[in-house]
Amino acid sequence: MSKVLIVDPTLCTGCHRCEMWCSLTKYGEINPSRSNVYVIRREPGVDVPVICIHCGLCIDVCPLGALKRDRTTDAVVVDSDLCSGCGACVKVCPYGVLRIDEEMDIAAKCDLCSGSPACADHCPHGAIRYEDVRKAAAKRRELWAMAQAGKIRS
Amino acid sequence: MWYGFAGKLLRINLTSGETKVEELDKSELRKYMGCTGYAAKLLYQEMPGGVDPLAPEAKVVLATGVVTGTLCPSGGSYEVCFRSPLTGTWNQARSGGAFGPKLKYAGFDFVVIEGKAADPVYVYIHDGQVEIKPAKHLWGLNVEETTDTLIRELDDPEISVAAIGQAGENGVLYAALINDRGRAAGRGGIGAVFGSKNLKAIVVNGHGGIKVAQAKKFAEAIEKAEQWLNNYPFGSIPALGTVGLVSVNNSLGILPTKNFQTAYFEKADQISGETLNRKYQIKRRACYGCSFACGRYTSVPTGKFVTPPMEGPEYETVDMLGAICGVDDLEAIIKGNYLCNVYGLDTISTGMSIAFAMECYEKGLLTDKETEGMPLRWGDAEVMVKLVEKIAHQKGIGALLAQGVKRMAEQLGPAAEEAAVHVKGLELPAHEPRSESKVLALQYAVSPRGACHMHPNWASTWDFGQLDCGMKEFGLPWPPAEIQDESSQKGVVYRYVALQGEISEILGACIFYSWGGEGSCITPQLYAEIVSALTGWDVTAAELLTAAERSWNLKRCFNAREGFTRKDDKLPRRFSQAIPNGPSAGAKVENLDTMLDAYYEAMGWDKQTGLPRPEKLRELGLEFAIN
Ligand code: SF4
Ligand code: SF4
Ligand code: SF4
Repeated sequence: MSKVLIVDPTLCTGCHRCEMWCSLTKYGEINPSRSNVYVIRREPGVDVPVICIHCGLCIDVCPLGALKRDRTTDAVVVDSDLCSGCGACVKVCPYGVLRIDEEMDIAAKCDLCSGSPACADHCPHGAIRYEDVRKAAAKRRELWAMAQAGKIRS
Repeated sequence: MWYGFAGKLLRINLTSGETKVEELDKSELRKYMGCTGYAAKLLYQEMPGGVDPLAPEAKVVLATGVVTGTLCPSGGSYEVCFRSPLTGTWNQARSGGAFGPKLKYAGFDFVVIEGKAADPVYVYIHDGQVEIKPAKHLWGLNVEETTDTLIRELDDPEISVAAIGQAGENGVLYAALINDRGRAAGRGGIGAVFGSKNLKAIVVNGHGGIKVAQAKKFAEAIEKAEQWLNNYPFGSIPALGTVGLVSVNNSLGILPTKNFQTAYFEKADQISGETLNRKYQIKRRACYGCSFACGRYTSVPTGKFVTPPMEGPEYETVDMLGAICGVDDLEAIIKGNYLCNVYGLDTISTGMSIAFAMECYEKGLLTDKETEGMPLRWGDAEVMVKLVEKIAHQKGIGALLAQGVKRMAEQLGPAAEEAAVHVKGLELPAHEPRSESKVLALQYAVSPRGACHMHPNWASTWDFGQLDCGMKEFGLPWPPAEIQDESSQKGVVYRYVALQGEISEILGACIFYSWGGEGSCITPQLYAEIVSALTGWDVTAAELLTAAERSWNLKRCFNAREGFTRKDDKLPRRFSQAIPNGPSAGAKVENLDTMLDAYYEAMGWDKQTGLPRPEKLRELGLEFAIN
């Protein structure tokens, strides 16, 4: 059974290590601003990692066909040879987890690290996990329902 | 090209309004490694001895280290270095949160603040830019209000704000600088220094990141650290937060109680970590980059001590606003912690000043006339909270307490001196130095900023566990066979304990993860691996240790220039009297002089004066500090 990235904000402490690991893995530097996972830390007491859910909305709007689905991981990935950095995908993403990387001037997003996600591997509290799709779907339902009920809290 | 470091120092002159960016010199930086080591060099060389800490001529250095803002598992710190208005000594106040990392991402390792603004200002540092902006509208606001206003004004929820509250504006000698609302650069009165400069806040944000010289090697070193820390001997701290120590220390009879009159608090259960976590914890909170997450996030939802959600309280605060004052009401302690955070007060000096006043009241040295009819009785939770308010605003009896224990005792006379618990004017933190903690007693006596459990702070872990902390190749754990006398052994051991601890100080790391041994903590060897991969320099543990020794000696020289010598390396009188009750009843400190002799000798310092010998300074390349 394939795996999916899932977050549990109730476990997040707001340490931003996932962002640092993401930028180190992807760009060889430590820079939360160049990360493809976004930790929203606000007061009072909000620590929520926001990730791409690989819904694929961005695929449809890309005028150059630069966004594709990776067959092995089902991740939505950017083809850097085709991307012109126009930002159509950034506009459509409902989660705001796409950005134009300033250094490379092309779209940047989570690609699930080809199946071994650095963020999930290194989250000290298991707030981001790479999980069996059935378990992940159940968790997503739970979070969705609780968010609707305004009850996400730790 | 810079790796690990941002490579730049920002100089801000508040008098002229000029700012200047300076390139750091790589070899000079490597000599000190950075953070407080390099800040010691800057302050020693740029600020002559005898400058009044509250005068415009006084300088302040905000310092990050090479691991600040990186993946080093406890690398979220920055330190503020300055001459303390409370003690007159060197001071460094560390804080976590996001401020240090964001300062580095903004492109600066160090900020040097000089002069004094004519009107209140704040400084906004973002992506290599710096602006000095008017802050008249912020003056008089507390830290929370200031932070909220700045977030709105700059329209950026991701800025990190380090601000002073009313206590700093009003010149309370132990006012703190509070960043990210609930993280304090607490000790020694940096808040008062900011206030004296009309500097309300420093705001930082940056998107620059930190370049890594050898990314693969660095990732491997960090992965190793992450694995080793699974065996970390103090791994239970995050579960309850540092406040978990209340129960542990009380059961050992080392929980400072009633102004250190004793070390056992009958009602410790009521203020324990277990109670805090069960009843008031909202969630766990980490400093930027820290995998430990010892921070608590709490609130008191109802009742007379109601508080909004806020970070803390930590162990120190719970003891200081609790047992030290005889207070057993955890809600009042959380409220007191909240007030200290928003007014910008050091909770340790605040609690100790209140406890000292309570003891003086008990002994009739403070009367109802001075307290405006408010009895200062042990354990009165409401009085404790009221006093925090009065201190921050310098109102009534608060004006006396705002000067700290040393000055209060000077005004109240010789009988009060007996009860004055401080070293060099810095109130003691919540760790009993009698009992087993004899190396801790030495640390209190000799630490550069006065009675200090933090800089560096391996002494108590040594006392209890004799952990080698990666110092095996340098000769620990001991005791050295040729030295028979136990006190002398402890003096020699402290040389190594202090220098190992100083390594975290010069790297910008939080101290927690450096206690343990190979395979269970971040040893000097592992730090060397991390720093080497980060910077591309081939740094060894021995090199780190030498840089630490340089830093430690230079801070000593800084104090020497202000007139501090062996005569000041002493403990409060109270510690030569036995603990009266509890599990460690009877314990007292009797061997300080022997420990001092052995320690100075081991350090290469003169036994008479307690100061580094010229040969030692030459050996360390600190010729400029010989006088
Ligand atoms: S690493 Fe985990 S705990 Fe830390 S911020 Fe990311 S999701 Fe939260
Ligand atoms: S980047 Fe946004 S739009 Fe594209 S797959 Fe992810 S969540 Fe969907
Ligand atoms: S899976 Fe990889 S690319 Fe995606 S957010 Fe995590 S670390 Fe970044």
